[in-house]
Amino acid sequence: MTSLSGTGSGRAARRRGLAARAGVAELAILLALVAIFSMLNPHAFPTLTNLNTILNNAAIPIVIGVGASLVVLTGRIDLSVEGVMGAAGMAFVLLSANSRETADIGWLAYPAALAVGAGLGAATGAIHALAKVPSFIVSLGMWYVGLGIAAVLFGYEMIPFLGNEAAVAWPTATPLGLPNSFVLALVVVGLGWLIERYTRLGRYAYAIGNNETVARMTGIPVAGFVVAIFAFAGACSALAGVMGSLALGAGSATVGVGMLFLTLAAIVIGGTPLGGGRGGALRTVTGVLILSTLYNGLILVGVDPSIQSGVSGIVLVAAVIAAGWSQRARLRVFK
Amino acid sequence: MHHRFTSGARARLAATALTLAALGPVFYGLPAAAETSQPTYDKSDIILVTTVINATNPYMASWIEGSKALGEKLGLPVEIVQSNGSSQTQIAGIQALAAKGKKIVLVTNPLAASDVPAIANTIKQNGGYMVVWWNMPPNMEPADVGDHFVAFGTYNGVTAGECGAKALVEAMGGKGGIIALPGVLDSTVSQERVAGLKEVIKDYPDITLLDEQPANWDQAIALKATQQLVAKYGDEIDGVWTADDAMMLGAYEAIKKAGMIGDVKFSGEGAYPPVVDLMVAQPDGNVVAASSFHRGYKAAATGMLIAYKAAVGELDVAALTAEQRHGQYAIDCVTPENAAKFQENGGIDPTWLDRLIADPFMDLVGGKVELPNG
Repeated sequence: MTSLSGTGSGRAARRRGLAARAGVAELAILLALVAIFSMLNPHAFPTLTNLNTILNNAAIPIVIGVGASLVVLTGRIDLSVEGVMGAAGMAFVLLSANSRETADIGWLAYPAALAVGAGLGAATGAIHALAKVPSFIVSLGMWYVGLGIAAVLFGYEMIPFLGNEAAVAWPTATPLGLPNSFVLALVVVGLGWLIERYTRLGRYAYAIGNNETVARMTGIPVAGFVVAIFAFAGACSALAGVMGSLALGAGSATVGVGMLFLTLAAIVIGGTPLGGGRGGALRTVTGVLILSTLYNGLILVGVDPSIQSGVSGIVLVAAVIAAGWSQRARLRVFK
Repeated sequence: MHHRFTSGARARLAATALTLAALGPVFYGLPAAAETSQPTYDKSDIILVTTVINATNPYMASWIEGSKALGEKLGLPVEIVQSNGSSQTQIAGIQALAAKGKKIVLVTNPLAASDVPAIANTIKQNGGYMVVWWNMPPNMEPADVGDHFVAFGTYNGVTAGECGAKALVEAMGGKGGIIALPGVLDSTVSQERVAGLKEVIKDYPDITLLDEQPANWDQAIALKATQQLVAKYGDEIDGVWTADDAMMLGAYEAIKKAGMIGDVKFSGEGAYPPVVDLMVAQPDGNVVAASSFHRGYKAAATGMLIAYKAAVGELDVAALTAEQRHGQYAIDCVTPENAAKFQENGGIDPTWLDRLIADPFMDLVGGKVELPNG
């Protein structure tokens, strides 16, 4: 919903208009999915219970998506999501009251887990920016570093279960009408939006993604901002790892399984191109909701499990095409 | 967890392995015992190797423990190859160890059935011996491959699926709706267990199988899938059958969060210690009905011991029976009535390993697993 402002040119205004229209296309896809699934299963799909199920499932990828969108805005990519989730999630569980009785540092376990994620993210950003290695490959490596940390923490012992029943019950409780997990995700989205809109970090992310050479020439310390953005993305993944652990009520090194594909697909469907410079966290929310609705709907209308993944792949590609239809003439370069 | 080599070193070792493997027959040791038909070696020329898919799954953790316990009894160190979900990593790891020059005694739980021929070739060239668990191409038989492929072992998935299903259906009072969480659709093990479930519910006309959603053997995916099924079926769900206890724990948490825990019964497979504890304590009412018991500990120790005995000449591979070369091993059905028995020491009798060393086929109960008709 935001774009580089300040030029005042007709072209920028046109681009803003297009961006807004593209956002409408994604919402239309979401509503179409809701309508189709409601027709196919009118008893179970359009209910409050099911809405909460979908929103609760969407919460974790949304939180990851806020950080990942910012990274993608700069034209970079963070593939370390699942590893960071595993490392931070295991750190959180082992630092909380748990059945292995490892340690219990109380609420400090939350910031500690976020610090693990931010640390891994900062390391990815620093190696990428300082050693000039593509973020694709550094974050791919960091995925396995994260999984390795999670595996070491898991060790050869039995599954650690969280002892704090109230914390475990928190994500799915609905004191505000919506699941707490989704409310938390919205707070993170709000934070992401504020960062994108009102801070130097966010504005520079767009600038770097739009044209990094120009950004450098205007004196933006690109490396520093890139490290900060990766650290923020790591913290988002870490929060997602904590939320996943609370959902399981237990520690698991694979708590993030499947999340990378879901989040990246949601970012692209939402309308943040992998090339960077346009889009943002708000758009990713729509992308995640489309995919969560699709996953839920396919099960609820009884699509055979063996063809579910094929159907979601087709819908995914169709959604990307539909969302980008209005802009197809303007995209000159495809990679 | 332990990547022993950097990728460069691993590639170099793999290359050396190939060179050495080509010369393999030259290095055959002298037979240690006269009564075997296969070449045998001195204990000091052997390394024990075990492969695991990852180390963060309780089954794999128990597998490593069993391998190490046997290694300690035999006075030999155990090398662990972690495949981390990659067939290539797994095979490269075995090849790298083969390059060290010693004869490999391998027990493997291969990532995919299609990995077995490549692993068997590596072992053949090395002159070592191997036992494979769980996965093997359907048209493969150890006896056809050669003496180096000493045995294939598995557990009867149909029996395991029936164990959970029977107790589950009984706990439900013989009526109601069941949701089933298989592992992955194309896994033979999962298919066998589901066949066991379906075989049991044939006899209960008031039981409905509402849905089957594969949950990839994973706790987090099972949680998510169960949440969707709760939204779809709500109160119609009276029972949850799962092909593995990790998935049962995920489903359990989902049902608990949905506020339905008192009304739904569960069954699993593998009798993971937390599930056995749940059965004994039943903190949410009498809801966990059954899980079948076997351990990675036992599978790994049994397989490694059989391969070891072939290598040192204590077993004559040519004299093994068809069932010993391709057989199924004992599983127990754990229910709340007998669960306490399986709590201590991970359910493994402390004398088990010594008894095994005296008779490596102690737990063998039959030949090839056959699927029920229809």
